[in-house]
Amino acid sequence: MQSERVQDFPAIKGLPLAEEAVPYNRDSGGVETFMKDRQSVMEKLEILSDAAKYDVACTSSGVDRKGNGRDMGNCLAAGICHSFSADGRCISLLKILLSNECIYDCKYCLNRRSNDVPRATFTPDEVCELTMNFYRRNYIEGLFLSSGIVNNPNYTMELIYATLYKLRNVYRFRGYVHVKGIPGADAALIQKTGYLADRMSVNLELPTAEGLSRLAPNKHRKNILTPMRQIQNGIAQGKQELAVYRNAPSFVPAGQSTQMIIGATPESDYQVMAVAQGLYDSFQLKRVFYSAYVGVNDDKALPARGTATPLLREHRLYQADWLLRFYHFRVEELLDEKRPNFNVLLDPKCDWALKHLEQFPVEINRADYHTLLRVPGIGVKSAQRICGARRSGALTFEHLKKLGVVLKRALYFITCSGRMMYRTKLDEDYITRNLLSLHEKLPFDKDGMTYRQLTLFDDSESNVSLFG
Amino acid sequence: MEEHVLVCENSIDGILTGIYEAYQYKKEHGIESHDWMHLAVKEPEIGRLFTCYTRVDTDAEKAEKVSRTIKRELGEAVFYDLCLAMTSADEQKADAVYHTVVIGLKHHDRDVLARLREPAVQKAFACRRGAGNELHHYREFLRFAELESGILYAKIGARDHILPFLMPHFADRLPADNFVIYDELSGVFGLHPQYRQWYLVSGADFDEESLVFSSAEAVYSELFTRFCKSIAIESRTNPRLQMNMLPLRFRKYMVEFE
Repeated sequence: MQSERVQDFPAIKGLPLAEEAVPYNRDSGGVETFMKDRQSVMEKLEILSDAAKYDVACTSSGVDRKGNGRDMGNCLAAGICHSFSADGRCISLLKILLSNECIYDCKYCLNRRSNDVPRATFTPDEVCELTMNFYRRNYIEGLFLSSGIVNNPNYTMELIYATLYKLRNVYRFRGYVHVKGIPGADAALIQKTGYLADRMSVNLELPTAEGLSRLAPNKHRKNILTPMRQIQNGIAQGKQELAVYRNAPSFVPAGQSTQMIIGATPESDYQVMAVAQGLYDSFQLKRVFYSAYVGVNDDKALPARGTATPLLREHRLYQADWLLRFYHFRVEELLDEKRPNFNVLLDPKCDWALKHLEQFPVEINRADYHTLLRVPGIGVKSAQRICGARRSGALTFEHLKKLGVVLKRALYFITCSGRMMYRTKLDEDYITRNLLSLHEKLPFDKDGMTYRQLTLFDDSESNVSLFG
Repeated sequence: MEEHVLVCENSIDGILTGIYEAYQYKKEHGIESHDWMHLAVKEPEIGRLFTCYTRVDTDAEKAEKVSRTIKRELGEAVFYDLCLAMTSADEQKADAVYHTVVIGLKHHDRDVLARLREPAVQKAFACRRGAGNELHHYREFLRFAELESGILYAKIGARDHILPFLMPHFADRLPADNFVIYDELSGVFGLHPQYRQWYLVSGADFDEESLVFSSAEAVYSELFTRFCKSIAIESRTNPRLQMNMLPLRFRKYMVEFE
């Protein structure tokens, strides 16, 4: 604001800064070299971003880092998306593989050894130039660097480390970096890479060890969990060191994530969520991502190519994941051996509430925060607002509407000062019928995904039959 | 009973001055309650009956006094939120902020924006949320292009006048760059000379046609455009979702949608 009052600026003819301008990177001449190889960098970027696109994590969240007044870049804890691609997914980071020359032959992967696809490898300088120039134009929030396994895991991890080292120490980039930990690489390599990255992830790939050994013969569950544990310990230790020495370098400050492919193997939702919960509990992961299987290879061990992507199932898993992380639910409350899959028609929270009507209705003006969180139609923000607003007096349904509560869902489950909004019955069938008539807003439909396709391919039992 | 409306300038300082004058006016005219007083950023085309309109001239000193009081009594966080609300495109923002301040001072409540039972607070809260969303959208979707001189140039069309909040974000992450952000809807420029304090300029004589972009610019914009295409998964194509996340009005400023 104070700057609004600056009066004595030079009159603008064109732009007032022209004489002060210093071209970016003028001494390194980076842009010039880059231009000569323009064609090949363009091609490489297409190949290596295409090869990286099945990795779902593109978040830039989890770390707050101010600029230092000299070098380029900062980080916001909430993360920033910079664009959205045609599939509606966010583009936050420059998501690329360092190389797709992979020695492994994972059946589901586009880059497997046995596939005849164009191969490419970036040099560290190319990755750095792309990151710096994209970031400077506000195209991206940082870099997401993964790689196929070149020669062996150690060699690959070393390449990734060398690239990050250059980006942080030569190019002095302070933006966000998400990097893959390569299973099977030396602990020391993972350790020193972790000091350069904001987030590290090791992909679980498939929910169970059995699925992994069937579809990724070169990968082993143990090799995946070892670096995951190491990163977890590194983060814990780093936090202690930071508490003691304020300027200790931070190790993976934005935490660790992983992803699993859903629908390539016949696990139930219950199995998948139990694995996720285990990862949150015992590995302190920040995020678990679920990637609906997209068939890119023909293989008798895989669902047929052209099988619809199980988007609704993925959506339900994410909804349940949110319930675990922000709503204090446990998997056992949502699913069990007898009911191992989510209801396709209702979101997991509504579904849970309908099975636990004895806990409702909830009195808005008295219920504690955790109870409010369990009401369908009340999210984290509206629960917080309710707790804040009711301190100065009782709330009515009219107030709730203004607070962002979705009353058409919540009204069956709440009272305000002892009254329900309308005369309704606390009856499972009655409420179910009414909730179903609301037509849940899904992030997809109308785009060729019929309900029939969804049920058929969402059901892991029908996947079993696909596997023969 | 007669209502009194003070009409102030549509700016943060204008509204803060308006709040100062409202307290003054209430005292001078012996008005019983703030409920009879309103603050507007525009005189209505047809004045209401039994309403008295008074124009308020912006005064930096009075505005400063009010902002000091708000910061002291309600805290820096509330002051920030109210300033953001004052950039809103909603014309009722001035009255909402004014009455939110009245409520906050009356109850000595540093968490006054949580009092969402009060209509004025609801409105101020909604204005703050709307402007906050717009601000965040431009942190996401603003695109710089490099001029021949090395200066970065970006054009936006912000619904709410959030440029003063956008500048510190980019000044923090690009300290070594000279950059300009031009809000074509308000005609205001934000200027950041390298390693120095940013500032705002309005009413500049500026010809966009005369801008010459650097030779690297075409390369990087094409690289990014191709990246955006190749990163999408074909079997998940979902234009409706893309539209929800990235509304059309932003796309005309974005290089990947040109």
